[in-house]
Amino acid sequence: MPLRSPSLSRLLAALPLIAIACSGAPPPEPPTPKAPAPIATPGGLRDPASFAGMADPAARSQAMFLEASRVMLHPRCVNCHPTDDSPRQREAHELHNPPVLRGDDDQGIPGLRCTSCHQDTNLELARVPGAPKWQLAPKSMPWLDQTPAAICAQVKDPKRNGGRSLAQIVDHSTHDKIVAWGWSPGWGREPAPGSQAQFGALMAAWVENGAACPQEEASR
Amino acid sequence: MSVVLVRRSFLAGLGLAVTGLALGVGIDRDALAAAPPPPPRVALGGAPGLHAGVFVHIAPDGLVSIVCARSEMGQGVRSTLPVVIADEIGADMARVRVLQADGDPAYGDQNTDGSSSVRNGLDHLRKAGATARTMLIAAAAKRWGVKPGACTAHDHAVFHDASKQSLKFGELAAEAAELPVPADKDVKLRPMAELRHVGTELPLLDAPGIVKGTAVFGADVTVAGMLIAVMARPPVVGAKMKRFDPKRALAIPGVKRVVEIAAPAAPYGFKSLGGLAVVATNTWAAMRGRAALEIEWATSDNASYDSTAFREVLHAEVNKSGKVVRHIGDVEAALAVAATKVEAEYHVPHLAHAPMEPPAALARVDATTCEVWASTQNPQAAKAELVKVLGLDAKNVTVHVTLVGGGFGRKSKPDYVVEAALVSRAVGAPVRMQWTREDDIQHDYLHTVSAQRMSAGLDAGGKVTAWRHRTAFPSIGSLFAPNVTHADEGQLQQGVLDFPLAVANVAAENGEAVAHARIGWMRSVCNIHHAFAIGSFIDEIAAAKKADPRDTLLEIVGPPRIVGLTELGVDKLSNYGAPLDKHPIDAGRLRRVIERVTDLSRWSDQRKAGRALGLAAHRSFLSYVAVVAAVNLDAAGKVHVDEAWIVLDAGRILNRERVRSQLEGAVLFGISIALHGAITLRNGAVEQSNFRDYQVARIADAPREIHVEIIASDGLSGGVGEPGVPPVAPAIANAVFALTGKRIRDLPLDRAGLA
Amino acid sequence: MSVTLKINGKDEALDVDPEMPLLWAIRDVVGLTGTKYGCGQALCGACVIHLDGEAVRACVTPVRRAVGHAVTTIEGLSPDGSHPLQRAWVELAVPQCGYCQAGQIMTAAALLRKRPKPTDAEIDHSLAGNICRCGTYTRIRAAVKKAAEEGSAR
Repeated sequence: MPLRSPSLSRLLAALPLIAIACSGAPPPEPPTPKAPAPIATPGGLRDPASFAGMADPAARSQAMFLEASRVMLHPRCVNCHPTDDSPRQREAHELHNPPVLRGDDDQGIPGLRCTSCHQDTNLELARVPGAPKWQLAPKSMPWLDQTPAAICAQVKDPKRNGGRSLAQIVDHSTHDKIVAWGWSPGWGREPAPGSQAQFGALMAAWVENGAACPQEEASR
Repeated sequence: MSVVLVRRSFLAGLGLAVTGLALGVGIDRDALAAAPPPPPRVALGGAPGLHAGVFVHIAPDGLVSIVCARSEMGQGVRSTLPVVIADEIGADMARVRVLQADGDPAYGDQNTDGSSSVRNGLDHLRKAGATARTMLIAAAAKRWGVKPGACTAHDHAVFHDASKQSLKFGELAAEAAELPVPADKDVKLRPMAELRHVGTELPLLDAPGIVKGTAVFGADVTVAGMLIAVMARPPVVGAKMKRFDPKRALAIPGVKRVVEIAAPAAPYGFKSLGGLAVVATNTWAAMRGRAALEIEWATSDNASYDSTAFREVLHAEVNKSGKVVRHIGDVEAALAVAATKVEAEYHVPHLAHAPMEPPAALARVDATTCEVWASTQNPQAAKAELVKVLGLDAKNVTVHVTLVGGGFGRKSKPDYVVEAALVSRAVGAPVRMQWTREDDIQHDYLHTVSAQRMSAGLDAGGKVTAWRHRTAFPSIGSLFAPNVTHADEGQLQQGVLDFPLAVANVAAENGEAVAHARIGWMRSVCNIHHAFAIGSFIDEIAAAKKADPRDTLLEIVGPPRIVGLTELGVDKLSNYGAPLDKHPIDAGRLRRVIERVTDLSRWSDQRKAGRALGLAAHRSFLSYVAVVAAVNLDAAGKVHVDEAWIVLDAGRILNRERVRSQLEGAVLFGISIALHGAITLRNGAVEQSNFRDYQVARIADAPREIHVEIIASDGLSGGVGEPGVPPVAPAIANAVFALTGKRIRDLPLDRAGLA
Repeated sequence: MSVTLKINGKDEALDVDPEMPLLWAIRDVVGLTGTKYGCGQALCGACVIHLDGEAVRACVTPVRRAVGHAVTTIEGLSPDGSHPLQRAWVELAVPQCGYCQAGQIMTAAALLRKRPKPTDAEIDHSLAGNICRCGTYTRIRAAVKKAAEEGSAR
């Protein structure tokens, strides 16, 4: 069995509530939010304004990252951010079939490159998903089965995020075409929540509010 | 590696231009060329030279043409059968070419099915070669004025040793052609020892064309003005179209026509399933057109078919008495008094053939004639169906046979050939009917779905005193006749009736099962499920009595002996069409393959050392096979067959190399069945559609090594293509039990999360 | 619309939809039938060809992607069937039905270009996308190793 938890995405959908439930705990961080943010509709994503009621910028930033992590941990995104060398597919993170490996450059192995099959666009008849520069996220950026806190720490760490500044992270989230694919994934696939614009805005607001990472417990 | 060296010398002998390591294969006349292959009667027609029967022609330049009348699908008939004829003649294989027979009745039965090409064809082929040799010798003897008996034929010439004279075959062809064809009694076969190549490792005739991409398969034939059709068929067998709109399909560039094919009435046989064919100038346009069709399907009787629910129907059938088909002693009484009772129920799902080449056929039909090029195992069945459907005279219907890109029984059913012809007639142009992979998986003639309940009674000493085998599965008979509720003897013989049992009380019963899909035969047919149940159950008995499975298997098979109808407890046994006196049920031969495979795999030592091994043995298609599988779990906890040993006794074999390759392939086919294969239906429709959800073995599933042993024998030949398959899945399941203690009674292992 | 492709070193002007998969352009329009259709969804590898020496699945690669690149099919792997892989395939009698073998060979050729001496694991990994229903896998492994041993310098 691959390392995976099919219920993870459901758990994550309920995360903001759990985060709030946990927030009564005594530690100084995160400060107690002043007002709960509204719940997003299924498949939707809350915009930065939804978090305006939270007075503390760090708490606001944490909440925004948690919201953004619903995108990151969605099958469309997490399936190509595995902890090991094999991409996943479908909603339950099944191992990629045919069996493929990341190789030295995260773009496959000799004779079986990502682009041996994946094109720069989705193929409807063949059902093969595609976008420009289709590849696996580097091994330093594992999201599969990770907590939002762990992902946040990775995203902020230039040693593990491809040497990107926070501004570059926001730009990547907002404009990258392979990221955009998450919202137009083609044949029978559920898109990531919200839109790329909303995701980018959340990430930008997260950075503006201090790029705070949620607590580890937030995902438990 | 000695095998390679031996092979190399034969390649050289066959003129495939092997020099050292530089294999420059320049002669393509042996592979089907990249144009429609000429059928023998066209290629040879009124060619001068000796026409010795329909299988052999010898030209004045010495070129010997030999007709292969079975379809090549990897089992090596084109590399094997012509060699038998050539050896009988004494021909030099470097000057032999092989022509592929079309569906001409002159060549006899061409149905490449039932592992029968050698077992039914050997004597026939030898006679064809010997006839040509007799005529060549007669011509030489006449010229020299000597007795034919004083002459010999070898190395492409006739020799008179006494006078040290010789004449090449080519020099004799014209004179031999003037002589009468000798009567059968005047044609003497050579002693087997004189057949130079038969029984050795023969070179693979079509390999050069295959590796260069010039070999011609069903979809590779092109004729002028042809169009390509891709067809939408009903998701449920027998469903008709309520309504359809071809408008969007016709708007796609390249799409020429949309042709309706009527839905067939049951029984479905080899009829087209009906639907809409999109005819286009290229395959891509036809595929896009098919996707753009709007069709509303009506319901059919089969729309209620749900394979999950049907499992319960079959389960109920084997948990009550069924039609008794095999009976010795009093099994119920023996079970009642048994010291130990062992019971188990086994389920094998529907399976799809999934040959790598989806069905494809090209047809050119006009008012009076029909010419077809098809990847078919059975050109004569195709022809008969075409005659019926098109209403043409049989002599005006020709079916050319291309290489078959995987058959496994699928391509002996010519529904796709019929479709090509119907569409060609409708559009007035040659049409290639191209099945997509989705078509292949969703509209296959499925391997049946089965439940079996096995019960055994053991006495206090652990001896098996009662054996009851109940089996229920939709019958292949339902494909050809209405209201079929039980399996016929031909299907039940496959393990249920013919497995030798040294047990005093035996009963086999067949429960009722109605088909709701097209049920067809797939490589080794009912032996697949029957051998799985028998092979697994014997392992369960061994576990119950804490005995070595090998000892238990040998004990149940019993001592070496011929097991007749009386001992089997049956009135008759069709025995794969062969007479029982020539091909009896020989428990000694079954024991021998078991003994050999356990020796070869060092069964006892390796088990003592803790290796997880599983064993099973089965007789089918007149041959005996035993398999040992060694399994381990990979990092993800999935079962992997690490190593396999397979021993075959098929009597005399003609081409060691192809027999070995068939057994290697059988192991992988069995691995697919054990680990992955399952077709399910819901609301009457197949739920799988491609290799993503109908998985077959990939390279990582292949054992590190497959050890093959062929028992040396000059006995009558049995089948080879199928008999390797049945024991593989039970051997794997038994090895999984040895490894994990988990008993696999439902295939595939995928379902238990183990593959 | 007309596009020009360089296939096996030869320029071919084709009047095809640029979105048409190369497989059908090569088979139906150019008439080279060595490249096979097996699944149409990049699942089986029967259609593997080379684009600038790298293995791609022709059934999902649009014609437009090949413009300006060198397309090599099984017919163009060697002038006379003498590529070390082709020789090894014949010598070890790898094919059964033969339908998948062009794709197997083209994939293996791409592997050997990058890894002239592949390990057992590398062979299995690179050929993981090529299905052989006849089950010739053990011989495929042996033939790739044999070709590697005999030098795949070309």
